[in-house]
Amino acid sequence: MKKRMLVFYLFPAVFCAVVFFIIPLIYIGYVSFFDWNGLNAMTPVGTANYRQVLSDSNFRLALKNTLIWILAAVLIHIPLGLLLALLLNRKIMGWKVFRILYFLPNVISITALAFLWYFIYHRDLGLLNWLLELIGLDGLTNSWLTNTDTALGATIVPFSLYVGLTSVIFMTQLSTISEDLKEAALLDGAKGWQMDLYVYIPLVKPALMTNIMLNVAFCLKNFEYPFVMTSGGPVNSTTTLALYVYKKMMNANQYGISMVGSVFAVLLGLCLMVIVRTLQKGGQDE
Amino acid sequence: MKRVKLSRILIFAFLVLIACIMLVPFVWLVIASLRPNMELLSNPFGIPETLNLNNYFEVWRRQPMLRYLLNTFLAALIAVVIDVVISVMTGYAMLHRFRMRGKLSTMFYVGLFIPANAFMVPYYVMITKIGLYNTIWGVGLIYGVMNLPFSIMIIRGFMETLPMQIIESGKIDGATANQILIRLVLPMTKPGIVTVCIFIVINCWNELFFANLLTLSESSRTITVAIQSYLTSFEANYGFAFAAMIISILPTLIVYIFLTNKIIGGMTAGAVKG
Repeated sequence: MKKRMLVFYLFPAVFCAVVFFIIPLIYIGYVSFFDWNGLNAMTPVGTANYRQVLSDSNFRLALKNTLIWILAAVLIHIPLGLLLALLLNRKIMGWKVFRILYFLPNVISITALAFLWYFIYHRDLGLLNWLLELIGLDGLTNSWLTNTDTALGATIVPFSLYVGLTSVIFMTQLSTISEDLKEAALLDGAKGWQMDLYVYIPLVKPALMTNIMLNVAFCLKNFEYPFVMTSGGPVNSTTTLALYVYKKMMNANQYGISMVGSVFAVLLGLCLMVIVRTLQKGGQDE
Repeated sequence: MKRVKLSRILIFAFLVLIACIMLVPFVWLVIASLRPNMELLSNPFGIPETLNLNNYFEVWRRQPMLRYLLNTFLAALIAVVIDVVISVMTGYAMLHRFRMRGKLSTMFYVGLFIPANAFMVPYYVMITKIGLYNTIWGVGLIYGVMNLPFSIMIIRGFMETLPMQIIESGKIDGATANQILIRLVLPMTKPGIVTVCIFIVINCWNELFFANLLTLSESSRTITVAIQSYLTSFEANYGFAFAAMIISILPTLIVYIFLTNKIIGGMTAGAVKG
C-alpha cells in the first residue's frame, strides 16, 4: 500500500489516540500538581496533592476496595462463569435455554441491575430479608447496604453472579475444540470431570485471558454499582477508585486531588496490563 | 427408555438453582411494577390484590421517557458509527507492514487497560470547550472514544484471520487500496463488525458515569441518568420507580428476545481470539 494511503487510513485512530488519550494523560499529570476548584486560576502546589491523597484514608480505602473488586472478578466471577460453561458443555437437557437465561442480565443496564439489588437489600421491603425470615433465619436479617460490615460485599454480589457473558466466551472457545481430540480423550478412559480438568480447562486459556482482561478493565472503572446502590457509603466503605475521583471533582470541587486519583487509576491499569500481558505470553498475540 | 444418570440430574438442578437466583428478582420486579404503591408498602410479598398498568401510564405521562430512550439510542448510534469507521480503517491499515506498526499496536493495547473514568476532567473540559456540553453529541463522542480500543482489537483481530490471498488477488486484478477494502475485506469482516456493534450498544445503554457528567437537562439526559435520579425523586413511590426501570430495560430486552442467537454468537465471534 502506498504511504499516502496508509497515512489516510491510520489518521483517524492516531488523531483519537493523541486527542483523547495522550493529551488527557499529560493534562491529568499536569493538573495533579495544582490546586484548582474548576473555576478560578490554578495555583501550583508541588507534590502537596500527592501527599494529601496518599495520607487520605478514604483514598487508601478506595484503592483497597477496587483491588477487592478485581479479586472478586478473578476468584468468583470468572470461576463461576467457567463452571457454568463446563456444565452447559455437557449438553444437559435444556442447555440452550439456560444459556439464554444466564446471558439475559447482560443486556440489562448495570444501573437498572444495581437499582434492583438496592431493593433486594432493602431493610423492610427487600427480598433478601423476607427470604431469611421465611426460612427462619430472622437473626441474619440486616440493613445490608447501610451496615459497614456487609455493604462492600453486598455491592459485589450482583457482579459476581451475572456471569453470562463470561460463560458464553468460555463456551465459544469450548465449541472450537476438535471432535478428534475429545474422542481420543474418551478412548483413553477420561470421564466427565476428568475431561473438564485435563482436556477442556487447559484448552480455554485464550478465552480465560479475554475474560480476565474484560473483567479487570470493568472493575477498574467500576462506578455504577456503588454509585447507585450506596453512593460509596456508609462512611466510604464501598467507594471505588472511580467513585473517589468522581466525588473529589463533583462534590468537593478539588480538581487537583481528583486528578491525583486519576493518575493512580492509570498507574494501576498499567500494572494490571503488565500482569495480564505476562500471563498471556505464549498466546498468539504479538 | 434411556436411563438418565444421577449426576446429570444433579447438574440440571444446580443449573436451575443458578437461573432462579439470577432471574427471580426480575420476576418480582415485574410484579411489583404492576401494583399500586400503597399495597406495595403495606404488603410487599403477599399475593397481589390489584395488578394494572397504572404505574406505567403515570411514569410515561410525568416523565419524558421516550426522549430519554431516544437520547440513549442516539448516543449509541454516534458511538457505533465513530468506532466502526475508525476500527475498519485502522484494522485494514494494520494488515500491511510499516515501520511504526508495533508501537501503534502497543498503544491500542494500553488503551484497553486505561480506565476512561480517569479522564473525566480533561474530557469534561474538552467537551465544554467545543460546545458539546449538555448535548447528546458530546455523550456519543465520548462513548465512541471509550469503546475505540476494544473495537479496534476485535475488528483487527477478525481481519487478521482473513486469508491474505484475497488482498493479493485484488492487487493482481489492479484494484486500488480503497477498492480492496470496500469490495473484498469489508464484506468478510461483517461478523466482527456485528460483534463490535452489539458490544458498543450494550455498553452505551449501561453507561452512567459520563452520561451523568456531560448532561444537565432533560433534553440530553440518557435513560440511565433518568433511572438513577428516580432513586431519589421517586423515593416515596416505588411503584413508579419500578415501572420506569422496566421501561428502561424493555428496548434491549425485546431486541435480545428476537435476536438471541445472533447476539450470543455475535458477542463472541471476535472475542475469543484475544
